[in-house]
Amino acid sequence: MARYGMALDYKNCINCKACETACKEENGVLLGADKHRIWVGVKEVEGEYPHLSIASQTFYPSQCQHCEDAPCQDVCPTNATYYGENGDVKVDPDKCILCSYCMNACPYDARYVDDRTMTVDKCTFCTDTRIARGETTTACQNTCPTKVRIFGDLDDPNSEISQVLRQREHFTLKAHLGTKPKLFYLV
Amino acid sequence: MDIEISRRKFLQGTVALTIIGSTATTTSLFSKDKQGELKLTTKTGDKVDRLVPTLCEMCVNKCAAIARVEDGIVTKLDPNPYFPKSRNMLCARGNAGIQALYDPDRLKFPMIRVGEKGEGKFKRVTWDEAYEYIKEKTIKILDEEEDNRSSFLFCAGEGMAEHTFKTFYQAFGSSNWLNHSSICLQTVASAYGLTLGAYPQSDFENARYIILAGANRAEAIVTPDTMDLFKNVKSNKNGAKLICIDPRFTNTAAKSDKWLPIKPGTDLAFVLALTYVVITEDLYNKEYVENNFNGFEEYKASILDNKYTPEWAEEITGISAKDIYTIAREFMQYAPKSIYYPGRRSTFAKNDFQLRRAMAIFQGLGGGIDCEGGLVFGSTLKIKGHDEVSPMYDNAASRAVIKKLQAKSGEAGYQDCAIVSGGGSWISWRNNFLDDKQPYKVRGMFCYKHNPVMNMPNSAKTIEMLKKMEFLVCIDTMPSDTVMYADVVLPECTYLERTDPIKTFGGTEPSIAVRNKVIDPMFESKPIMEILHGLTKKISKPLFDISKKHDMEVQSLLEESSEEELYAEFDITIPFKHSQEECNAHAVSDYPDAKEKLEKHGVYYPNMDAYFKQLSANEFEYYPKNKRSYRVNEGRPKTPSNKVECKIDTLSKNGVDSMPIWKDEYNYQTSSDKFRLLTGRHAQYTQSGSTNNSMLNDLMRENFIWINKKVATQKGINFGDMIEVSSKIGKTRLKAYPTEKIAPDQLFFIHGFGQESSALTWAYKNGGNDNAVIEDTMEPVYGAAAMHETDVEIKKV
Repeated sequence: MARYGMALDYKNCINCKACETACKEENGVLLGADKHRIWVGVKEVEGEYPHLSIASQTFYPSQCQHCEDAPCQDVCPTNATYYGENGDVKVDPDKCILCSYCMNACPYDARYVDDRTMTVDKCTFCTDTRIARGETTTACQNTCPTKVRIFGDLDDPNSEISQVLRQREHFTLKAHLGTKPKLFYLV
Repeated sequence: MDIEISRRKFLQGTVALTIIGSTATTTSLFSKDKQGELKLTTKTGDKVDRLVPTLCEMCVNKCAAIARVEDGIVTKLDPNPYFPKSRNMLCARGNAGIQALYDPDRLKFPMIRVGEKGEGKFKRVTWDEAYEYIKEKTIKILDEEEDNRSSFLFCAGEGMAEHTFKTFYQAFGSSNWLNHSSICLQTVASAYGLTLGAYPQSDFENARYIILAGANRAEAIVTPDTMDLFKNVKSNKNGAKLICIDPRFTNTAAKSDKWLPIKPGTDLAFVLALTYVVITEDLYNKEYVENNFNGFEEYKASILDNKYTPEWAEEITGISAKDIYTIAREFMQYAPKSIYYPGRRSTFAKNDFQLRRAMAIFQGLGGGIDCEGGLVFGSTLKIKGHDEVSPMYDNAASRAVIKKLQAKSGEAGYQDCAIVSGGGSWISWRNNFLDDKQPYKVRGMFCYKHNPVMNMPNSAKTIEMLKKMEFLVCIDTMPSDTVMYADVVLPECTYLERTDPIKTFGGTEPSIAVRNKVIDPMFESKPIMEILHGLTKKISKPLFDISKKHDMEVQSLLEESSEEELYAEFDITIPFKHSQEECNAHAVSDYPDAKEKLEKHGVYYPNMDAYFKQLSANEFEYYPKNKRSYRVNEGRPKTPSNKVECKIDTLSKNGVDSMPIWKDEYNYQTSSDKFRLLTGRHAQYTQSGSTNNSMLNDLMRENFIWINKKVATQKGINFGDMIEVSSKIGKTRLKAYPTEKIAPDQLFFIHGFGQESSALTWAYKNGGNDNAVIEDTMEPVYGAAAMHETDVEIKKV
């Protein structure tokens, strides 16, 4: 039993999209730009040429936040969305009726429809592929050129993620919503 | 409308890709399901046949990967942690290698053309029929040309097996070899070679101050530069300060501390002004210059006499004098841990060779050469070569270049350039061939993994050239635009289906790495080694017979020795007799444990077991810091004199300035109704080589033309409007992306799109082709293509 989370050294992100591709290859995610479990959120640069604000152009790698208080889980009428034993938010395709409540409820836009199963799909932290095989990294983390992501057990004080969260300032996205996300952006 | 932010919604409105995933099964990944949709991704499972260490070939970097094979299918490519160069990473393209392997459009069988050239009509033949056909045509041409081996042109794209193909060219005996250099690194590699003795690497891991000018490392990924650089800037509080000089606001600019948009082609003025500041303010490393420079006083005098002041440069470059002063001072403050990045890119401006010389000299002024945090030469692990043959063909003419008659000393000796390099000048060669100016007839062409229609300026001229070429053999994996003009098509297998020549990778952490075959070649495709083995077996003896008929030297030799003895020297099958695996084992036979390590890890370097350490779940150390080759030449350049060469008199004998100077003709200007067209690379595509990759196409459907927002508003152009771009030589069409990230008098789009081969499902007529409009301008030293010298017009259509 663990409590999986991920820290992102997001200032290292160069928007190369290696993570998106690795995720699709590892997890057999559908092609199509609106079918992805993870993505890089890009904020376009502000200002007028040539006076552009470098600081305004940011890349935020993102995916399901595996919230501790997940709105998607609250609204699911069939309990298709549930918490896995390691605190990860999961979808049981057999129970999903594609009511799409969860897609609307998710403040992070982290869910999409898998056209093959006609159910909602999302990031699994690779728990049914890599992690299930005993590997210690997710596909997105492993492939990243600038090593943005650190995945691990938040309950283990000696894990790399616990140590880095103790040492470095960080924030979560839309913290005011009280969803208690488990993706931490390092400052 | 912003492309990136609203990517999801934006793409919902466009044609959805007809693709569906599938789980790993033994069914063919090429087959279409009942809706006619292609199955292109697989979820990895827990039953793995094998994990094979190999090297990526989605671009030129050769990063190390581990291929996961399940039920005979490659289901995943993971980064291989053992390779120092790629630092345990695979980029988007590296991951998408699976879609290159299982591309339904791949060349599957040998083919012979039956339609008109370019029409794409071929008949499937056996390998033997293809070889036989090549033999007949080749022998006929060589017989008519009286054994002038140079009546065949050989050209190849960059790659680990380029040398294997070059071995064939040497054995065949032609003098006409063209490779990617004149549309790639020619000027930068040669300028640094002449000035510092080698084209150096950059120690981004330890540098404290970095100037990246016209080098977009976030989008044009180079390993390990990209990883080392971006881990050492923004997120690292003690990291390097990054100055980005680029006409466009790129992803690299987004990671910089300062972005300075420069007028295209004026970087030389910027560097000369930096040099002026450090000389006039006495900021340079005097001891280093004293001991390690040749011609400094003359260079100093030139800089001062010409008054290359920051104020002078401000006018030319558009960068303020204040910024130039600051950068020059800061660079020297951090030196020698300061890097003016040499860059790794094509030639953009006519003055590129002199620009690179000036950059190399400026770097030397801070002493940041052959040292930690500066430019480094590194060391290389030696490997053994394999058999080559170079028979002497007396009738083979020298390279088909046009020498200038009556060239005086101090003038270029050739019509199009001052120096002819080994890789030649592609544009010059092509244009002279078209204009019938070459000293003899070139009638046949062997083209390996190279796409001249797409890869160099003026596609229309290249097409004309291929139509005019009497006989063209293409060896490739994909039905590229060039393959459409072939008479014979020989299908090579992809990089995941072959073992390639082993390669040694120099640097501060040198290693040897190998591309191991992951699965057997599919269809009837073969690796280049086997293709050339089959081909030379077919043509070697008949070629010798042609020499016997026409070559008087051969005839006289035959009077002294038996035919069998003489043929042994002309037997061109020799280099291709052994398997690649055998050649590779021989190459590393000096290292007792290398063969085993390379099979197991794909990578080898001495003391690997002791040095290699896992630092965290995802990061590794390859060499302890005190074992890295930061300093290999006592901190000196690697020129024969071991000094920075400021003034090179042999250059002026050939009509090239002996020192970098500015000339008025370099000034940037466009007429008011025109725009300067810029081109470049992208982190999800490698030129034209990967635009048919379904996974990468998923990340970016097509290329867009960047237009300054105000200009777009004036012209009534909105996001997604179709734009026709035209220059003196041609037109292309692509969609508009109005943005603040580019100057009002410039336009930009990514190279590699807009292909015309109808055999490419995703790339066919998708987006715009820059080379349809970029004019065939050459820089004067090597005749390299100067790609940012074209002005264009645009209109909404």
